[in-house]
Amino acid sequence: MNELPEATFQQQVLQLAQGQDVPDWLNSLRLAGAREWREAAWPGRRTELWKYTPLAALRKHRFQQACGTLPVWPRDLPLQVDAIRLVFVNGVFDAAASSPAHSAVVRFSAADAEQQALIARHLGHVATTTRHLFASLSNALVADGVLVHVAKDQALDKPVHIVHVAVPQAEPVVVNPRVLVVLESHSQMELIEQFVSDSQVQNSFVNSLTEIHCGAGAQLRHYRVNLEQEQLLHVGGVHVDLWRDAHYRGFTLAEGSVLKRIDYQINHQAAGASAVLDGIYLPRNQQLLDYHTNVEHKAPHCTTSETFRGIVADEARAVFNGRIHIHPQAQKTLAELNNRTLLTSDRAEIDTKPELEIYADDVKCAHGATVSQLDTTAQFYLRSRGLSETQARSMLSFGFINELLQGIEQPAVREHLHAHLQRLFAESLPVTVTAP
Amino acid sequence: MRDGPLCGHRASHRHRGESVSEQVESLIRKDYSAGFHTQIESDTLRPGLDEDVIRFISAKKEEPQWLLEWRLKAFRAWQEMEEPTWAHVSYPLVDFQALSYYSAPRSMANKPKSLDEVDPELLATYAKLGIPLHEQEALAGVAVDAVFDSVSVVTTYRAKLEEVGVIFCPISEAVHRFPELVKKYLGSVVPQKDNFYAALNSAVFSDGSFVYIPKGVRCPMELSTYFRINEVKTGQFERTLIVADEGSHVSYLEGCTAPMRDENQLHAAVVELVALDDAQIKYSTVQNWYPGDKEGKGGIYNFVTKRGVCHRNARISWTQVETGSAITWKYPSCILKGDNSVGEFYSVALTNNLQQADTGTKMIHLGKNTRSTIVAKGISAGRSQSAYRGLVRINAGAEGARNYTQCDSLLIGDRCGAHTFPYIESRNASAVIEHEATTSKVSDDQLFLCQQRGLDAEKAVSMIVNGFCREVFKELPMEFAVEAGKLLEVSLEGSVG
Repeated sequence: MNELPEATFQQQVLQLAQGQDVPDWLNSLRLAGAREWREAAWPGRRTELWKYTPLAALRKHRFQQACGTLPVWPRDLPLQVDAIRLVFVNGVFDAAASSPAHSAVVRFSAADAEQQALIARHLGHVATTTRHLFASLSNALVADGVLVHVAKDQALDKPVHIVHVAVPQAEPVVVNPRVLVVLESHSQMELIEQFVSDSQVQNSFVNSLTEIHCGAGAQLRHYRVNLEQEQLLHVGGVHVDLWRDAHYRGFTLAEGSVLKRIDYQINHQAAGASAVLDGIYLPRNQQLLDYHTNVEHKAPHCTTSETFRGIVADEARAVFNGRIHIHPQAQKTLAELNNRTLLTSDRAEIDTKPELEIYADDVKCAHGATVSQLDTTAQFYLRSRGLSETQARSMLSFGFINELLQGIEQPAVREHLHAHLQRLFAESLPVTVTAP
Repeated sequence: MRDGPLCGHRASHRHRGESVSEQVESLIRKDYSAGFHTQIESDTLRPGLDEDVIRFISAKKEEPQWLLEWRLKAFRAWQEMEEPTWAHVSYPLVDFQALSYYSAPRSMANKPKSLDEVDPELLATYAKLGIPLHEQEALAGVAVDAVFDSVSVVTTYRAKLEEVGVIFCPISEAVHRFPELVKKYLGSVVPQKDNFYAALNSAVFSDGSFVYIPKGVRCPMELSTYFRINEVKTGQFERTLIVADEGSHVSYLEGCTAPMRDENQLHAAVVELVALDDAQIKYSTVQNWYPGDKEGKGGIYNFVTKRGVCHRNARISWTQVETGSAITWKYPSCILKGDNSVGEFYSVALTNNLQQADTGTKMIHLGKNTRSTIVAKGISAGRSQSAYRGLVRINAGAEGARNYTQCDSLLIGDRCGAHTFPYIESRNASAVIEHEATTSKVSDDQLFLCQQRGLDAEKAVSMIVNGFCREVFKELPMEFAVEAGKLLEVSLEGSVG
């Protein structure tokens, strides 16, 4: 189908808001979001934040609202972990696949008055739309979502596991997953967000937004895993506010698709906050995968450590943009960013841009980026030990990202990804690698 | 910003930091020593820009018809273009109609043939700036082309250069004497429509240097241009074109100053380098345009397009020391077109007070086994902002390309900014790209160590800064390295707290 004109697309997506069943107290956020979305200039090649990522794929479809009934889907998609689980299928809550209700986790539609007040206070306040246009679309279409609330000094004994399953429907649909995490001071928890799809899924558009408020001294471990079928369009955002001495440990892994763009926005709002973010990107075939991260150091004595690694294969394209912004008051900041990419094919492409913007002098900041291919001496070594060329290549590729996998503290996530990636790299192998 | 609970803590830290940074800052207050104005009669064109002005400039220089057409084409393109706003600088937009696009010392009207005929006032100006033309002719053995406002004043050492076939003359003269060369290469690296300021320059460029090194010739001396803006309300738009034919070698130096003025003056130059097969060009700049006063009043807007193209096995090396200008917008670049060609960029950018610099380079790898090295050092002091902006692009055909980039920033004082925007685009799996950037400050420990060894604070800061820039300074030709070192020292001169 031909691409829709930009303005028409913007208008048309907004019309989806009309048929929604929405609680009244979300209306002001929806209206503000709709206004922002309508007035926003559509990003093109000259828009710095979208320079390498064309959005034309979005405009090829006339998206519909996902239907309210629960479709059938393969039950083996969510990773197996002992957790408080919520499963959404094309945005519809699947109670049967989810674990029993838990006091810390509630859907917006089931929130009581107190919880509604909490949601109203934080929802749309952590996320900023200035660097993340699609947050305003998420606001405009917000109807349901998940609130995770951990009270002061509490630690959740189980991780919260939110699964977004995409399944085929007659028409391409828009799914608008929304998660709000509020950690009161000195609370702790672990969050696993998993995006999966049925292998038949076509052209649905998932616009996800996760907002995280970490109060003073709160600690969050957050895993976000995107392993969907490559026809799915995905634009996602994770926005984190860190208050005094709060700690955020994030891990993200994604495979590419026709269009996949993931934004991380981390705000150090008060002194002593720290963030660690590891990421792996693995686009192949003709996929596109774009990671944009932005860390705002607005207070002194905060630290950031960011490591992204990627392997770009076939005719795929990866985009990485890592920005660290040190405000004038953010003295004694320690920030570092490291990005390494392997290109395994002559038609693969990487566009990377680690950015530093520094307005304070007593800081230590560094970033590094490398782009290369697999080490030929290492390949030679493996081949001299009797491995075939493809075996050697897969082994080294896997080793390149395995270091970050090893850092995952949650065993269920680590093992799930380990097995998945081993399969992925083995696909190119004629013979499985076995120990002698 | 949302209020953090830690105001008290932050305040106490600030207080401690300030005593050190204040001490350091007092060291970097400086006066601009090249800021005098020369009382000299000039013919300056009325302000404003239209096709008539371009016809006037062209007629004044008795240019051939093709060049006039070339200029008009650029002017028409420029009218359609918009001023770029993506750089990390902010300034009131330039009123291009308020500027005068041509100014020449009156005594140049009857062209002098040799140094003896040049207005003594002019020569005194250059002497004051440390470029006594006579002396250099005799001692240094550096051939100088001096550009005063819009015209080239004098080119020394010409006869000696012509003996080996090297052409070094004002571009206005080259148009007449070597029209084939100029026609062939002018605009071949930076096309008229390349960008807003390049288009403006192409339309109104007044003078500049032209260099041609014949096949296999190693230029026997360093070539040098000195640029000086003197008149009020003028812009300087010079154009330099250097062609190094196969297997030749040349080293070219460029220096710039301007008087102290309350208004902002525009300098929009274009430099084009062509290094044919196996040729080498080394281009060094010490840029010391008037940076404006401590309140950010006045100063030069330095919007410059510099680019070189390397053919097979050729090498282009840019070295720049940027200490002046209110606003710097400058990205000397290399197009590595031929196989095995090499591009290099070494830069020191010092900003102080309210100066803003957005500078860096572009390395476009097209040929096989092309290599590039980027070393950029930024020093920000006072309330200045300095940014490194670079692009490394490896095209699909650039088999075995290699890039190494290092950019370091040094912050002096807690009100300045240092930024890094490196773009890396790779489309070839066999390419290897490395980029590193760090930011730090002149640390209390380093200062303490130096002072403890008997150096005063002033010397200590100067030493640390010089050490920080060493990698770049060692790339400069000797005469320039001394000048650059001194320039930084002058910048750091002041009372010791």
